[in-house]
Amino acid sequence: MTPAADPPLAPLDRLRAEARAASWFAALGEPLVEGDLADAEAYADALDLGTLSIGQAHDWPEAERLLKSPDWSSAWWDREEALRRTLLRQAETLHGERELWTALTELTTDVGEFVHGKAATAASRMGDAAKASVHVAAGAASQAVYQLAVARMAGETASLFESKFRLFAAGRWPLGVVSTRLVLF
Amino acid sequence: MTQPIIVKTVEELKDAPEEYREAVGKLVISHAINELYGAQVFDEPAIAYAPTPYAKWLTCRVAMEEYGHHVRFKQLGVQMGIPEERMIPGTGKRPLSIFEFPLKTWEEFVAIKLLADLAEILQVEDLLHCTFHPLRNLARATMPEERFHAQFGEDFTAELVKTPEGKARLQAAVDEYFPYLPSFFGGSKSRNNEIFRKWNIKQRTNDEMRADYMTRATEVATKYGLTLPEVRQAA
Repeated sequence: MTPAADPPLAPLDRLRAEARAASWFAALGEPLVEGDLADAEAYADALDLGTLSIGQAHDWPEAERLLKSPDWSSAWWDREEALRRTLLRQAETLHGERELWTALTELTTDVGEFVHGKAATAASRMGDAAKASVHVAAGAASQAVYQLAVARMAGETASLFESKFRLFAAGRWPLGVVSTRLVLF
Repeated sequence: MTQPIIVKTVEELKDAPEEYREAVGKLVISHAINELYGAQVFDEPAIAYAPTPYAKWLTCRVAMEEYGHHVRFKQLGVQMGIPEERMIPGTGKRPLSIFEFPLKTWEEFVAIKLLADLAEILQVEDLLHCTFHPLRNLARATMPEERFHAQFGEDFTAELVKTPEGKARLQAAVDEYFPYLPSFFGGSKSRNNEIFRKWNIKQRTNDEMRADYMTRATEVATKYGLTLPEVRQAA
């Protein structure tokens, strides 16, 4: 007997469950451990921006300074955007634009509210976070879920968005590339 | 004189007069469509123009909240029996004129958050005492986020006006977009508005809301040394 095929949007249901189970922002400011470094190196390799060292922000004010730093690497952001657009086109051909778009919007709405609460908890626990930074953290986390959702709906199982999501799932916040450093919070 | 009614649930709406049901349906459709237009035309494209990761992710969050408002209004509409197609742009209702101009710069986005989201706040405020409680509750749920979006506009306005070049670019964006905003409140002799007020779905006339908006928009612009261009009022 042939097993029943997954419904077309099943990958999003699985991702929603993974997002619910993730340790969003739980390890911010904690010393980096071997697993964090391995995930960060996998993410850095997938970005393919040359050799990147791994750095760390230790508190919210330091994270805010880095995120507003004039020497942040737009190449990092552009690389992710280019990949997202390519994967989105692939996913749209597989699932239909309207159905895919609606499902992604509903997923990011659900997850966005959930991670916003987690970011607020982390900011409250650690102190010293600017009020808008909770929204920034929630924006970063829900963007990571959205990127991974697009990748999985495109049939990609080993994209750089998988390694980025693993960092968030482990309680970290990858702040991006500043100069030649990939910085984790 | 119409008997005042309170509709506490979507289920109870079935027993409300037809005019009442149609009126709340129109409002839900209008909000669902405009929230989606705003997210698609302004918020999502603005992520690319944002100058730093901090601003980009903040804009991501704003875009997702606007998409979220669309989802929530659409979910309410579906519960009310409104077909989903009627709550999605391009399927009937014409967009407001402001949505016909594609976003070109970060300063334009900041001007829109500062002034267009203030107009949105006034629209939502008018629903905070709506007699259709599911709509009232949704307005109350979205209000903190709408206020945050307007604050976003203020925060980045404060950044931009620190330099003469930034202030000039922002003033140019205000000059371009502001003239479209007063018409956001509808015509002075709107039949829809008359019906909304008759049933206490909304509280104020379009002209009252427009006048309040002009006062508040002038206050916030003046606070940052900006001026609002003259606009022709909607008839």
